[in-house]
Amino acid sequence: MSAPAATSALEVRGLTKHFGGVFAVDGCTFQTPLGQVTGLIGPNGAGKSTAIDLISGFKLPDSGTVLFKGRAIEGLPPHRISRMGLIRTFQSPREWPGLTVLENVVMARWDPGRESFVGGLLGLRGEQRVRAADELSKAREILDEFGLAGLRNERAGNLSGGQKRLVEFARIRMAAPELVILDEPMGGVNPVLGERMAVAIEGFIAAGTSVIVVEHNLPFIERVTEHVIVMAQGTVIAEGPFESLRANQDVVDAYLGEMVR
Amino acid sequence: MTWNLFSAYLVSILTEGAIFGIMALGLNVIWGWSGDFDLAYYGYIAVGAYMTLVLTIGPASATPPAQYILGLQLPYPLAVVIAVATAMAVSLIVGSIALRHLRGIYFSIVTLGAVYVMYVIAGQFVPLFNGYNGLSGLFDPMGDWLGLDYQSYQYFFLGLSLAMFVLVYIFMARVSSSRFGMALRTLREDERAAAAFGRDIYRLKLKGYVLGAALGGFAGALFAAYLTAFNTSAWAPIEVIVLYSAVLVGGRGNIRGVALGVLIMGVLVQESTRFLPRLPGVGEFDTHHPQVLLAMRGVVIGLVLVLFLRFRPQGLLPERRLVDRQAAADITPRIIPTNSEASP
Repeated sequence: MSAPAATSALEVRGLTKHFGGVFAVDGCTFQTPLGQVTGLIGPNGAGKSTAIDLISGFKLPDSGTVLFKGRAIEGLPPHRISRMGLIRTFQSPREWPGLTVLENVVMARWDPGRESFVGGLLGLRGEQRVRAADELSKAREILDEFGLAGLRNERAGNLSGGQKRLVEFARIRMAAPELVILDEPMGGVNPVLGERMAVAIEGFIAAGTSVIVVEHNLPFIERVTEHVIVMAQGTVIAEGPFESLRANQDVVDAYLGEMVR
Repeated sequence: MTWNLFSAYLVSILTEGAIFGIMALGLNVIWGWSGDFDLAYYGYIAVGAYMTLVLTIGPASATPPAQYILGLQLPYPLAVVIAVATAMAVSLIVGSIALRHLRGIYFSIVTLGAVYVMYVIAGQFVPLFNGYNGLSGLFDPMGDWLGLDYQSYQYFFLGLSLAMFVLVYIFMARVSSSRFGMALRTLREDERAAAAFGRDIYRLKLKGYVLGAALGGFAGALFAAYLTAFNTSAWAPIEVIVLYSAVLVGGRGNIRGVALGVLIMGVLVQESTRFLPRLPGVGEFDTHHPQVLLAMRGVVIGLVLVLFLRFRPQGLLPERRLVDRQAAADITPRIIPTNSEASP
């Protein structure tokens, strides 16, 4: 346990959060392997979304530890965690609706030098200009890859739900984090697009981004993940490869139920 | 109307327009880019105006009830710098409270409270800015030093105001296209997503807020020199509505639009109410019923505001978007305006 950073992308220990009398997350402990896709599943109310909020800094945990790259990140604000290389998505796509698709992708990369007030004013000069041009061609490349090149000048708010999901994925490619947590990426997505997203997730891994996917779509989980964590009532009740979970009576009782027959 | 009268009139509306333009460009940072409906904005203009006056005018020997005046008689440019710094400091305090957790209407309510506090302090706390009587007596700052008589001073001050407006405009054009300006817009569009992609929402918003207030304070400092005086009656709710209407009509977020909006709402609409047909019984130039003009101004502005909100909420010149003409990497992207109505 001395050097968790070497083997796990994320380590969560005893994470707890309650709202009034409801323990949404109750002593949640798990590790996700580096360079792999980990599924996080469980019935509604299992605490998955709250766990993500706690990990990504959008909510403060009551207790527990979150280790990312060997550093405790619990309690840090979202932007600090994001800057460290842990980016999360949201259940419904959160594009910047008034900005174009291209701008959405370009702005996914946080650039401290150019984004400060003074840096911004000094920008468009020499080295910064080169960086801006690199960024733009990178964004174009990514949009091409996601089949969004034709929509790049469209306001993101005008896109369909599925296209917005793709924009979100394109933004993650642009930001190139070390770990991404996808919160129900398949929500409202048709099977064809789903396959595209599965391929995109493989692309994240290839680009060096570990992935955690929260999802109710179990065929998708089976398709993309190597390792699955099952949560129920705020805590982890089982984990392992998806196949092994079918045989686990606790998991079947809590979640899989009739799915497995 | 004689030529002299007409040129004096022209000089005064252009000077006002330039100062008003700086105010609107400042408001555009806060509302246009950062997306916060700030009701304290006119407070920063007032702080700029008051500070300029209190630092430049002489001792209170002339008018007995006045007990406020520091009598510092600082040079005008130095007073302007201090006035801007003070406006920034006040906005930093208000912003650091209001922007921490509050958004939308809750932010507006807190800023309304803040501006009311400023207003009451300025009005009631006489030793500060002489209460409701306000400050007066800033005549032709730098005029003596430049050796200008009253007439030529008006032209000088017009030139100064226009030059300042142009400088601020160029500066804001730079900010608008900068990465900082884009980051502010991501906050307006969806700040949770902005945070998820590494933006420190609070600090970024606060920076935008203080930048906007600095422009407000600066415009206030010019305004004080233009009016030669400032008191709480120069600080009416209608003023902030005119500013918002200018930004809205021109195009929120687009500085060219904001300049156009100032021309329309701040100059044309404002001035056209002077030339409304005379009402029977209302005297020449409405000297007997000056309130009628003032009321008509509010009515016209309100009407224009409602029509724009209903039919063209994006304004005459909507915010520009980066439009990538070609996928080829060697083509530099051009920026052209897009119209959300035109897109499918």
